[in-house]
Formats: sequence, structure tokens, C-alpha cells
Amino acid sequence: MWATNLRIFGVVLGTLALYTLIANKIPQVQSEVPKALALGANVTPEQLVSAGDQLFHGAGGCTACHGLGTRAPNLLTDEKGQGTIGARCGKREQGKDCKAYLYESLTNPRAYVVQGYEPIMPEMGRTLSPQQLWALVAFLESNGGTVDVTGSDIPAATAAPAAPAGGGAATAPGVAGIAGGSTDPMAIIRGAGCTACHTINGEGGKIGPDLSHVGSRLSQNLIRESILLPDAKTAKGFEKFKGVMPKTFGHQLTGEQLEALVQFLSSHK
Amino acid sequence: MMLSLPLLQAVADSAAYRDFPVIGSRAAVWIAAEIHLMFAAFVLGVPIFAVVAEAIGIFGKDPRYDRLSKEFTRLLLIAYSATAIWGAVFVFFLATLYQPLWAYLTAIFGPSMWVYVGIFFLESFTLYLYYYGWDRWKYGRAKLWHWGLGILLNVWGTTVMFIADSWLTYMMTPPRDITPETSPASIKIWHAILNHTWMPINIHRLIGNVVFGGAIVGAYASYRFLASTTDEERAHYDWMGYVGNFIAMSALIVLPFAGYWLGREIYQYDQSMGITMMGGFMSWLWVIQAFLIAVLFLAGNYYLWVGMGRIPGAERYRPYTKFLLIVLVLGALVWGTPHTMIADSRELAAMGGSHHPLLGALGVMSAKNTAVNLMILATFLSFLLYRRANIRQVVPWAQTGTRIQGAMFIIAAAIVLFFGIRGYFVEAIVRIGYSVYQVGAVLACIVFVTVIDILMARGAQSLGAIQWGKMPARSQYALFILAVTFTWLMGLMGFARSGIRQHWHVWQVMRDNTPYAATPALGYAAIMISTCVLIFLSLVGFIFWLGGLAEKSTFVPSTVEAPHVGH
Repeated sequence: MWATNLRIFGVVLGTLALYTLIANKIPQVQSEVPKALALGANVTPEQLVSAGDQLFHGAGGCTACHGLGTRAPNLLTDEKGQGTIGARCGKREQGKDCKAYLYESLTNPRAYVVQGYEPIMPEMGRTLSPQQLWALVAFLESNGGTVDVTGSDIPAATAAPAAPAGGGAATAPGVAGIAGGSTDPMAIIRGAGCTACHTINGEGGKIGPDLSHVGSRLSQNLIRESILLPDAKTAKGFEKFKGVMPKTFGHQLTGEQLEALVQFLSSHK
Repeated sequence: MMLSLPLLQAVADSAAYRDFPVIGSRAAVWIAAEIHLMFAAFVLGVPIFAVVAEAIGIFGKDPRYDRLSKEFTRLLLIAYSATAIWGAVFVFFLATLYQPLWAYLTAIFGPSMWVYVGIFFLESFTLYLYYYGWDRWKYGRAKLWHWGLGILLNVWGTTVMFIADSWLTYMMTPPRDITPETSPASIKIWHAILNHTWMPINIHRLIGNVVFGGAIVGAYASYRFLASTTDEERAHYDWMGYVGNFIAMSALIVLPFAGYWLGREIYQYDQSMGITMMGGFMSWLWVIQAFLIAVLFLAGNYYLWVGMGRIPGAERYRPYTKFLLIVLVLGALVWGTPHTMIADSRELAAMGGSHHPLLGALGVMSAKNTAVNLMILATFLSFLLYRRANIRQVVPWAQTGTRIQGAMFIIAAAIVLFFGIRGYFVEAIVRIGYSVYQVGAVLACIVFVTVIDILMARGAQSLGAIQWGKMPARSQYALFILAVTFTWLMGLMGFARSGIRQHWHVWQVMRDNTPYAATPALGYAAIMISTCVLIFLSLVGFIFWLGGLAEKSTFVPSTVEAPHVGH
């Protein structure tokens, strides 16, 4: 019986050893924790680019989609003949320079969904601090463009999300609010990227409900609630898109902007 | 919200992380949680097995199944203690090493933890009644009451699992309105329990436990088979090993469908989480998983093919096994082809694109779904051949029935292939929907072919009794490989489920601020999983040995031919 026991032990150990060996022979990738950056006002562009490079290729998780050419646009290599991201970012949105475009693409990625791709990118402001976001912007600019991020862009004394117990995600937009603080409803709608999913005045996408006659369906209170807490109630037929709409507009819109938007939408009957 | 922030800070200040000597707190909690889960799967899976076996014994009037059921319930008594001990170790480690997380979870789930303890108490005493009342409530109506106790035992066990699942699924997919600023005390418990992945995990684990229970039963039987000194004993444990393997493989066929559901829910909850799981740093994990499942399919089929050697009449079907082997091996190769792997721009440039120019086409979901569905069909065909090996159908429509069965296989395979190929030419969102048609075709084939086969087997002529016990020893080692692989796979999938949270205790709500927050690479995870499996199997081996020591084997000398399962 001892021989049988030894054989059983050998089979068990051999099987475990085989699986362990195979798992150790494949490429080893550890999911790193984004490091909190302490970048002062006198930070150099090189320091920002270096920090952004590490984030992009590591803890930021960007390479899981960007660079593969199928899930998200290539950023560090040519994308459909338009060059690398630093070369094309300033031309993506009229009136928006590269820096503002990239920052907003990170914090509110659904604002500018590139044609041909799904709106799958998470809001990076939930997981990265403003300092990390700006470092990423500098790194992306450095790929074919000019780095114009400076220490003055980075808000002073912003806590990284790595705060203890619950460690909240910071919500510092860093740029002058949506649409530069304008209270023109269509400027807010375009600036907030609403038309990436919603149609209004014949313009926009079909992922979210058509807002052309939203005033006839929802009261002002419900419109306000839908902007601030988009998942509180889901429009019939759009259940599968629950969770897609950002929940950050309460932080991004000023009170005046919010009310202007509510009035504007409720007038669309 | 203004009130909740100071509250959270107070929790953080009063609670602190600690480290565990030598191996660190993450490894300590990992080992305790993993082994507790393995024992938990054992004590939840085996009662399902036991109660089904007892029912077959009662309604089929076959005392072997009753004895089989009792034999396993005896092992459960010891396994329950081990489950509770490892559960206590896990809770103590969590409470002392990860105090902030523990404080947070108890603030939300405290009442459910009390219910959990209460039900575990009821479950334990139901088990005592079930086992110790076995011989007292043996006949007539009392036996049915006893069987009812077995069902009750499963109800308690399943409820306990559902409660624990709510805690871990909350950590993965907390409801979206809960933010880092939300005070845990303000979160309604039902709101937290009814999170996105709670029910998919419940169902996945329920089926997984049946698979696991069957595999452990198979390993136990093979251990006893190899240690047997008489032909009768060998025949009994050969039969038991077959039953265990049958249950494990049958439930395994259903398991991927529950897995798809879980994966879909994860994607719906947060696409970035799904991408991390399938295409991010965990992408290689699925290649390992494919390899393990290929081992399961191959070992399970090998056991059936070797087993046909003890069935008179099975030689008719032997020539087909090589074709089944080809389908299984090709399917495993396609399934194991990597699709998306993390790569930097330099590596991508070296590869000449984002995918391998040739193998990239096999790494996509269309190819993989096709491969796995064909593997399931091949395994089902293996079982079907095994099932009808020693019978000759006598119903007048037997030939027509067999042709219909063959046509069903061909149609199912054609549907699987059609949608697999078409998937290359449509949008991703349409392609995902195709897997439903593929799975539907395979399931429909399994159900209808089985029904036809049962009807065709009515009054069938026997070509000779199955010669239980006449199995070469190598077949028993296949059962060991199955048990080790199932256990390892469970550890790997647990790592995937837990690892996709990355450096979050609670996804995007509560960060892990320990030095162990980074999610380790697969190599390290594999060492941890192997360590846990080795500890678990050593303890299970000890329990098996104790089972033999405490009471002589309960097998009864054969007076009737043990039937195939399902006959």
C-alpha cells in the first residue's frame, strides 16, 4: 500500500508542479497600485512625461485597450493615418487645445468617443489623482506633440485617491468647468459630451434616450435628478446602458449651468 | 455626506492594518480563505451528491446508493469541523490584519453575519440528525423523513453560501450609487446584497460545488479502489468512482454557461473591469484556464474510454474514440490560443501588429466558443457511447432513433460552426449574441438525444453485465488528476474573481492601502494556489483515512448488477 500511496502522492505533486511551472513560464504581469505623485509647482516637463510614461505602461492600465487597435484608438502609434496622439489631439475638437482635450478625455471619456469605438473607457478621475492625470496628459502630448503642461496646471494640495479608509476619488476638473463655465445650454451639452449618447435638435447618438421632447416626459425635478443621479431611474428600453452615463455632473456643472440645462431641456416638449 | 466623511475618517483612525510574520498578511488571508472555501465547497457539494444518491436508493430500491450516501455523510462530519476551523482562522485573520475592511463590511453586513451563524448552527445539527439517524429512520415513511432531512441540510447549506456570497460580490460590484464618501452605516443591507454579481456567483458556485463534490467522491473511490484487497471491494469502489466522475462531468458541462452569465454581468456593471479580466493583466489567466479545462475534458473522456474495456459490447464503439480525441485536442488548442495580451508599444511593433498574423484569428471569441461547444458535444458523445455500450435496443424504431440522434449531433455541430464563422464578419455586439445560439444548439442536442436514448433503451437486450472492478490502475490516477485539476481550477478562478478588484478592497469605493495592494502576477498566484491545494488535499486525505479508520467500508457485497447512472 505504501507504493500505491507514494504513486498517488507523486501524481498529485506532479500535477501541481506542472500547473505551477506553466503559470510561471508565461509573461508575468503584476497589476500595480497607482503611486501618489508629489509634483510641485516647479515640476519640469521631463518629470511629468516620465511619471506619465510609468502610469501609461503600468498602473494606469491604459495599454489594456490603447495600442491594440481594436478596443480603443492607438495613441503611441499611428491611428488611421492621423499620426500619434500628440500630433492629432489639438485638431480633434474645434476651439479646444490639446491639453484641454486630453484632460477632458481622461476625466469624461464619453465626451469624445472616437467614431468606430464603443464608449468603454472608465472615468480616470475615479482612480487617478489630478497630478497623475496631468502627468498622463504630458506623456501623451510628448508623443508627437509639444508638452505644455506646467506646474501651474496642477491644483495645489490635491489628495491622491489613495487616501485611507475609503480613499475617495478626487474630482478636481483642473480646467475651467464644462464649456468654460458658459450658461449657454447647447454649449454645456456639447462640452459635457451629452450628444455622444443623446440626440437633441437632430444632433447626437442613440445610446441614451432622445432628449428632443424630454420636457413632455419628465418634470424639471426628474430632469435634474437624471443629470445628477443618472442611475436613480432608467428610461424604459435603455436598461442595458445603466451605469454608462457619468455621475460626475454634480461636481462639474455650476449651479447656474445645471439650472440653465434643466430649463432648456424641460422646454423641449 | 458631510457627516459621513468624519465617520469614515474615525473608522480609519481607530482601525489599522497589521502584518503577519514571514509570509505577510495577504498570503495569510489568502491561504485561510482559499482552504476554507475548498472545504466549504466540499461540505456543500457532497450533501447534494448524498441526497441524490439516497433518493436513487429509495426510489430505485437499490441499497448500494443508500450506503454510498451514508459513507459520504460520515466524511462530511469531519469535513464540517475542518470547514469551521478554517472559517474561524479566516475571520480572525481578516479582523486582525485587515481591520479597516472588516470594520467597513461589518458596518454594512453585521445583521447578515448573525443570521449566517444561526443557519450554520442549524445546518450542523441537521447534519448530525441526518447521519446519526440513518439506521434509526431506515424504513417506510421514516426513511422519507430522513431524506427530507438531507434536503433540509442542502437548504441550510445553500442559504449560508448565498449569504457569504453577498459579502464578496459586494466587494466586487458595489451598487453604483455607493461612493467612497458613502457612510457604510447608511447603506441598506438588502441594497448591498442585491448587487450585480450576487445571483450569478450564487448559481456558478452551486453548480461548481456539485462538480467539486463529484470529483472528490471520485478521488476517494479511486483511493479506496487502489487500496482494495478483494474483487468485491474493488468492484464497489470502481462503481463509486464512475458515479463521482459522471456527476462531476455532467455538472461541468453546465458550468461554462453560468460562467458566461457571470462574465456578462461583470461587463454590464463595469466594462473596464471586464476588460481587465479578459484582456488586461489577467489575459494569460484564461490561457491557463483553457489548459486546465482541456485536461479535465481529456482526463474525463480517457476515464470513460478506458472504462469501456470492462463493458461487453463496447468494442463496437472503440474505433470512434480516436476521432473524439482529435476533436478534443484541436478544440483545446484553439481554446488555449491567446487573444489579447498586455504589450507595450515596442512589443507591439516587434509583433507587427496587435495580434499574431496567423494565430490571432483563433484567439477571438468566435473561435473559442466554437471550440468549447464542439468539445462539449464530443464529451457528450463519449458518454452516450459508454451508456449504450452493453445494450442492444429492441424497440422497432431503434435504427430511426439512432439516425435522428446522429442528425441532431450534425445539426448542433453545424449551428455551432456556422455562427462561429459568421462571428468574424459582424460587429462585436452581434457576435456576443451568437454564443447564445451556439449554447442553445448544444443544450438542445444534449436534452433531445438523451430523451430519445432513454426511450430507445426500454427493454433493451443486455450484451453482458458491466465487469465492475476490472479497471486498470491507470484509470484511477485519471480520477486523481481530475480532482487535483478541479481544485486548482477553483483556486485560479477565485484569484480571477478577487483579482479583478485590483488595488481596491471594494471596487472604486474602498482602496487597499496595505503594502500588498498590488495584484500579483500569475506565477505568484500559482504558487499560492498549489500550496492551498496541497494543504487541502493532504487534509482531505487524512479525513479519508480517518473515515476508513472509524468504520469499516460500508460497501455491500454485490448481489445485483449496479446500473449505469440514469438507467
